[in-house]
Amino acid sequence: MSEGRIATGVGRAQVTRARRAARSKRRVGGAVAGAVRFVVTLAVAAAMFLPFFWMFSSSLMTYQESIRVPPVWWPEVPQWHHYVEVLKDPRVPLGLYFKNSIIVSTSVTLLVLLTSSLAGYALTKLHFFGRDAIFAFFLSTMMFPTFLFLVPVYYILKRLPLVGGNDLFGLGGVGALQSHLSLILPFAVSAWGIFLMRQFMMSVPDELVDAARIDGASELSIWARIMLPLTRPALATIAIFTFIGQWNYFLWPLIVTTSAPDLMTVPVGIRMMGAAYSTALNAGKLQAATALAIVPTIIIFLAMQRHYIRGFALTGFK
Amino acid sequence: MLQRRRAIPGTWVRFGVVLLVVALSVGLIGGGALAAKKRVVWQVHWSDFQIEGIYKGDKLVTRGLKQWVEEYQKSHPDVEIVLQTVPMEEYLNKLMVAQAAGTGPDIISVLNTWGPQLVNDGVLDRVPGDLASDVKNNFIPVAVEGAGVDGGIWGIPFEVGNYALVYNKKHLQEAGFSGPPKTWDELVDMGAKLTRRKKDGTVERYGFAFLAGWESAVVHPYLGLLWSLGGEYLAPDFKRAAFNSPEGVKALEAELALFKKGATDVSASVWEFPQGRVSMMIMASWYESSLKQAFGADYEATVGVAPVPAINGRSVNAAYSWWMSVNAQSKVKKEAWDFVRWFTAQPLPDGTTRMGTYQAENIGSIPPRKGDLSGHPEQLNDLYTKVFVQELAHARHEPNVLQGAEIKSVLWHEIVEAWHGRKSPQQALDDAARQINQILKEFYG
Amino acid sequence: MALVSKQARQTVTGYLFLAPALIFYAIFLVIPVAMSVYISFTNWNMLGPLERARRVGFSHYVYLLTADEMFAASLKNTVIYALGTVFVGMAVALGIALLINQLRASALWRFLIFAPVVTPAIAVGRIWSGIYHPSGGYLNELLRLVGLPPQQWLSSAELALPSIMITAIWAGVGATVIVFIAGLRNVPAQYYDAARIDGASPWHEFWYVTLPMLRPTVLFLSVTGLIGAWQVFDLVYSMAIGGTESGTTPARAVMVVALYLYMTAFRNLRAGRATAGALILFVIIFVITLVLLRVLRRGGLEAYE
Repeated sequence: MSEGRIATGVGRAQVTRARRAARSKRRVGGAVAGAVRFVVTLAVAAAMFLPFFWMFSSSLMTYQESIRVPPVWWPEVPQWHHYVEVLKDPRVPLGLYFKNSIIVSTSVTLLVLLTSSLAGYALTKLHFFGRDAIFAFFLSTMMFPTFLFLVPVYYILKRLPLVGGNDLFGLGGVGALQSHLSLILPFAVSAWGIFLMRQFMMSVPDELVDAARIDGASELSIWARIMLPLTRPALATIAIFTFIGQWNYFLWPLIVTTSAPDLMTVPVGIRMMGAAYSTALNAGKLQAATALAIVPTIIIFLAMQRHYIRGFALTGFK
Repeated sequence: MLQRRRAIPGTWVRFGVVLLVVALSVGLIGGGALAAKKRVVWQVHWSDFQIEGIYKGDKLVTRGLKQWVEEYQKSHPDVEIVLQTVPMEEYLNKLMVAQAAGTGPDIISVLNTWGPQLVNDGVLDRVPGDLASDVKNNFIPVAVEGAGVDGGIWGIPFEVGNYALVYNKKHLQEAGFSGPPKTWDELVDMGAKLTRRKKDGTVERYGFAFLAGWESAVVHPYLGLLWSLGGEYLAPDFKRAAFNSPEGVKALEAELALFKKGATDVSASVWEFPQGRVSMMIMASWYESSLKQAFGADYEATVGVAPVPAINGRSVNAAYSWWMSVNAQSKVKKEAWDFVRWFTAQPLPDGTTRMGTYQAENIGSIPPRKGDLSGHPEQLNDLYTKVFVQELAHARHEPNVLQGAEIKSVLWHEIVEAWHGRKSPQQALDDAARQINQILKEFYG
Repeated sequence: MALVSKQARQTVTGYLFLAPALIFYAIFLVIPVAMSVYISFTNWNMLGPLERARRVGFSHYVYLLTADEMFAASLKNTVIYALGTVFVGMAVALGIALLINQLRASALWRFLIFAPVVTPAIAVGRIWSGIYHPSGGYLNELLRLVGLPPQQWLSSAELALPSIMITAIWAGVGATVIVFIAGLRNVPAQYYDAARIDGASPWHEFWYVTLPMLRPTVLFLSVTGLIGAWQVFDLVYSMAIGGTESGTTPARAVMVVALYLYMTAFRNLRAGRATAGALILFVIIFVITLVLLRVLRRGGLEAYE
């Protein structure tokens, strides 16, 4: 990767300077530094953890406890039944939200992986007219505000030919609305994914590709048999980022799914819980529902984080 | 060479198969949404018990919208009424995006603020003659006024909202007050005395809290004060703003007195009234059910309602309304109007309507049809709603002006600037008037 | 002859490989942007048909850039938000990365700092609105325990935006930390060894070895972070403007551009003006990113190309 080049170029001079500067200073006392480090570490851990703790503890509080001033840190008798009631409540179908989020996030992730790696291959290993211009175009698309797309894309999805009862001219039916497609299609290509794949594929030596060509391999088989296995770490990184991003996306699913409640995803579900448990009496249940909605997400991350970290380490992606 | 020829088709074929599978599954997911029944979609801003009904244990004690719809579907098996719940804050934007794509709901709940635009852009279907004359003859004047745009009736009013002073009886008794404030000065004075601070300055309890968070919440109570003082909101021809008058400044100064005397501050929230953190508030009628739920058995002993105190003389109440209208683009207009007629106009034996019953019993709102106003004494004469119904006689409907929401938000933002002490009342109102005049010039110039 | 055909073949294959992305962008980007440009010259409000909307020329652009106080305020707030969350966020993330990089249980740590990243913003907003609550929230309770006066985190004009920024940094710092850790692991160990032999203090090690080595990381994070931050919407919406908990925050103190566009289009029924604003925002992001990339190239980004 390019990393090494920078390192050797810049590094040496820096180290020399460090040596010179170091002579004039004494080392900080080890014990003091250790103690400071310990306290800071603890503070960081607390700051990251406490908000979740608060959500959890207030999900177990009675109404009376949840409104006390100063706030209660832990309920006298944890109200576990909040969780049971939320799980049984047909107004907040958590299972449905998860099913939809999994369908949508998985589909989008697979499509993004496919389109990004195909485009990344063309942008690095094939030479043709307009290549750099196309890449610049892809990059610039990252900068368009989401707002520009809300209404036009909704309209386009409705007019998509041959789906949802539409004819060849996109008339007659609801198009891609009212189906998971409305949540998947607008996100099938990611400029960021293409950018990352391009960066990574550049590090694969051209000689490898040329050798395969000489052996008579087609471009598609080079892409499938050589590039994909070699770029697995980058694919993993793109996968997890796309998955999480899609999982958490709120505005578009909100607009699309209010007319199709069967398609509601987890973030929209969290918004709907706010409506279902709007009275202060239900504060505990609302927190319980929120916790139930985000804990599986965190578990999914836990399951994937190894790939994710490795993706970073291996791409040398900065 | 030969080798390559073999390699190319092999991989491409496999790739093609994968693409085909993807395309097919995509098509399968996409298809399949065709119903035999006539679907009438009603986008509603109700949720929770308002849809599902109120239960005591397993027993349904008050019907939700769902149960009414089920009743209709039983007698009309060919029609399916689909309720789409959209949170109030998202109601209009959802409607607009769907409308732009031609997938708007068949029945629309219209807040009067949006009415003029919806009429102007041909979104609303004309109300059938029988229903229009029904509105004119059988509804209270403030509701007829509210459903009118350019002299026509554009929906069946199902809720009129106005404001009253809601207070915590126990707090007032504890502080030694025998009853709610009668005048604004008393309100300020009592509010200051009811506020309880701890040593570190934390407010444990606010004597008073303003409704806040969206344009009407802030502007309506202000309009009440302005109109009580004889001021005007907009010129009658909608060509300019009229609130930056001495009366308008006086009305805003009256609100600021509550901040200056320590009766409230910008963190006070009416949503904490049920938690005993607020003693008095100017509130709308729709808060009743939440209060009942929150206070439970303590409700009657705790919640008190009185007319909004006047600065001098009699206070005028700002009113708004909701109508049930049918989308002009709907493909099932007839079915939609039939349902609207069944729900809002066909009188039951006792002279009430189903919608009126739903509003009075479940939502806790005031149904504006005369038969419903007298037909639900238990709900409309109760300790909470009674005052609101009485005050309707002194209510004035806010004007149905184009860009009503934008005009109100301008005023909302400027009033909040004044609450925070970032602008003087005169400055805030002048700034609002300048921006509003610009808008009015664009649409009425 | 053979050369030409090879060139032609690569061109065809290249475009075939790009076809999915190009077709997608044609449908879901080019058409919408073209529609948007047209919409920005009309006074369409999304209720009536677009064809019937009156054309108003450049008047939305002129109004937004010269007369609209709220748009100006939202631009200012967005710049503060973007610079604040990205650069303070990076400083915090670098600190955390340095802290936990050498710890034993780093998997646990990564989980702890990454949990907020995978939590939907709408839930983050709900959690933090509770924490910032003036009387029943834990933050003021913590202040009380250490003897400091309570604050009105979300309803005061001065604190509202910084409070939202703190939440944004909390929610996003995990991703940045992971990127920094990857960067730190790529610093060859011999540089540290060399510095240590010369008796360099940890501070000097950081300043003269670590930081220069991380420069490409920092530059990359700035560009991608800023592109995202210009478009912040969810958190401000759920914590200040849309949320009913603290509806008294002065709009001018917290309004950001994306939210302004949303309110203008959907609350004030001015899709035309909002679309013009979105295109202005695009130009701003585009120019700033170009400038940044220029600076970055000089700062060693050529290594990326």
